Amino acid sequence: MSSRFLAVALSTSLYLGALAHGADAPLQKTLVTCGTCHGINGRSVSPTFPNLAAQQAPYIELQLKAFKEQTRADPDAQAYMWGMASQLSDGMISQLADYFSKQPPAPGKLEKPALIAQGKRLFEEGVAAQGIPPCASCHGAHAEGMATFPRLAGQHSPYLLKQLLVIQSVLRTAPVMHGVVKNLTKDQMQAVVTYLESL
Amino acid sequence: MRQIRIGRASGLLGFMPWGFGLYVALTTPSFAVPSFARQTGMACAACHTVFPELTPFGREFKLNGYVLDNIKQITGITTENRETLSLNSLPPISVMLQISYTHTGAALPDSAVQGALAKDGDVLFPQQASFFYAGKIADNLGAFMQLTYDGAADQFGFDNTDVRYARHVDIGSRPESQNHSLVLGITVNNNPTVQDVWNTTQAWGFPYSGSSTSPTPATSTKIDSGNGGLQQNAGGIGVYAWLNDCLYGEISVYSAVKLGGVHPLDSTQSQVLHGVAPYWRLAYEKRWDRNSLMVGAYGIDASIHPGNGLPLQGPPDKYRDVAGDLQYQFIGEDHIFTVLSTYIAEKQTLDASFANMLAANDDNTLDTFKLAGEYSYQRTIGGSLAFFSTTGSGDALLYAQAPVVGSLNNSPDSRGYIAEINYLPFLNTKLQLQYTVYDKFNGLGTNYDGAGRNASDNNTLYLLAWVNF
Repeated sequence: MSSRFLAVALSTSLYLGALAHGADAPLQKTLVTCGTCHGINGRSVSPTFPNLAAQQAPYIELQLKAFKEQTRADPDAQAYMWGMASQLSDGMISQLADYFSKQPPAPGKLEKPALIAQGKRLFEEGVAAQGIPPCASCHGAHAEGMATFPRLAGQHSPYLLKQLLVIQSVLRTAPVMHGVVKNLTKDQMQAVVTYLESL
Repeated sequence: MRQIRIGRASGLLGFMPWGFGLYVALTTPSFAVPSFARQTGMACAACHTVFPELTPFGREFKLNGYVLDNIKQITGITTENRETLSLNSLPPISVMLQISYTHTGAALPDSAVQGALAKDGDVLFPQQASFFYAGKIADNLGAFMQLTYDGAADQFGFDNTDVRYARHVDIGSRPESQNHSLVLGITVNNNPTVQDVWNTTQAWGFPYSGSSTSPTPATSTKIDSGNGGLQQNAGGIGVYAWLNDCLYGEISVYSAVKLGGVHPLDSTQSQVLHGVAPYWRLAYEKRWDRNSLMVGAYGIDASIHPGNGLPLQGPPDKYRDVAGDLQYQFIGEDHIFTVLSTYIAEKQTLDASFANMLAANDDNTLDTFKLAGEYSYQRTIGGSLAFFSTTGSGDALLYAQAPVVGSLNNSPDSRGYIAEINYLPFLNTKLQLQYTVYDKFNGLGTNYDGAGRNASDNNTLYLLAWVNF
């Protein structure tokens, strides 16, 4: 046998050996799927897909169930998450929520200081004249979220902006938020999401 | 896309009156298939910018073996809880239909009556109709299989197939290793590059569809389907690794596969691979925000017996292709941009063809370059602009003078542009207007074939209706 043949046989054996030791635990397998878009650590690259790291576990659970039951119906929910969540058991949903909630959050992105300052004011104080309450009252002083109120800190601003728009147009149902965003202008939305991404 | 490859084949196949020989190469890029959507429960937009071009998620789906499923499974387990079956409750079947119209700058010669012209304006209904099995077979095992009816050839045949086994592998038990991912896979396929995921290579490269009846240049590099190409003329197996969603490496080997004709293969077959042809691929992809950039390289070493009357023995022709490629994608909410490019350098050592007077030179070179830019608005309206070029050493026998298909100056050099407008009323339906301009065809711009035909006479207007369901 030539040394080249031996090298090929050895590397093939190593390769197949590695292949046979693939990750098979149900949670691990599901995380690999989620991680394709959201990042295996819950920190996504594309702003189409939200960061899940450090998100409130009850909120993740609530949303996954809403996808599964098709009650959250904004365009991306339908295109991506209806299928993705359709076969998740309640047990798996809890495990996923627990896993992602415990991952370290994505670092903030500091851009456009003037807009950040404007957004911070809106987030902390609301706009009484427009009937917009302070966002912080539900989402927490540092936008860390609370139970089913989602963490917003460090979230991709294009994702947040899109959510505000689909909630405003009622493509996404979010009872508390419908009243809050009713009078929010697009400029105000842009300011507040820029601030949130900076956290 | 089926392409008519004319030129070198005319030397090999002899034939029809006035040397007007057409060699139909079975180059059929296959397409986005709704069975994947049915299996995953996800819209086409998850995996495709505009079909068949893949998004980063589409690339992941393919590299992970087409197995991601979100529909009810029929399962089987042993008493040790080992899974023995995990089957989609509905088979992942799809249908594709293409209807096209082709109009060339000047009519082609009639194939039977000397001096007469063929009808200029050709409707193919269908140009192509395909059936797919595309999806999961078992846990970690999936397939993309295509059966195609070709309207111009009036043939039904086995088309692009890629069966793959892939799984994630743990690469460490430390917490920080959780931030790393490694996919290892095995692909078994019948077309070198059909396994690729970046839309820069032959099987899935731009243009994704084109006329199957208009003249196309005499040749291209082997990996780019030159001289009959390797697609469906090869069967191979490969192993690949995909690390951290950014680094890809693959080695595959291909052997001769011919459907129909005499078996075991003998001198009645043409362009038969000798031994195994190694194919290799490296790619690095960087993703940031809504962007992705891939820089890669690939190549093949193929030894081929010309056959077609010559025994499949003795020194074969050798083709060594080395290529670089690049892809950039921006996938915004409304706007999508893509840039695709590849450069392929080929060195030919044509011992068999030279000894049998099929080539005038023992050694030849060919270089293929392609660059395409695409834009889509809301995945509905879009357009593309592309440049393509093949240049190489002249050869009086390979590129002999002949009407339409030949070359007056025995050159393979061809160069042109493609402009395309697409309208997708639905994500699975594409209406396409494509115009191809040649400023050089088989060596020259004017009277390139020595029979008075100009490169611009082969300019092609192509209309296509393309549906997948």
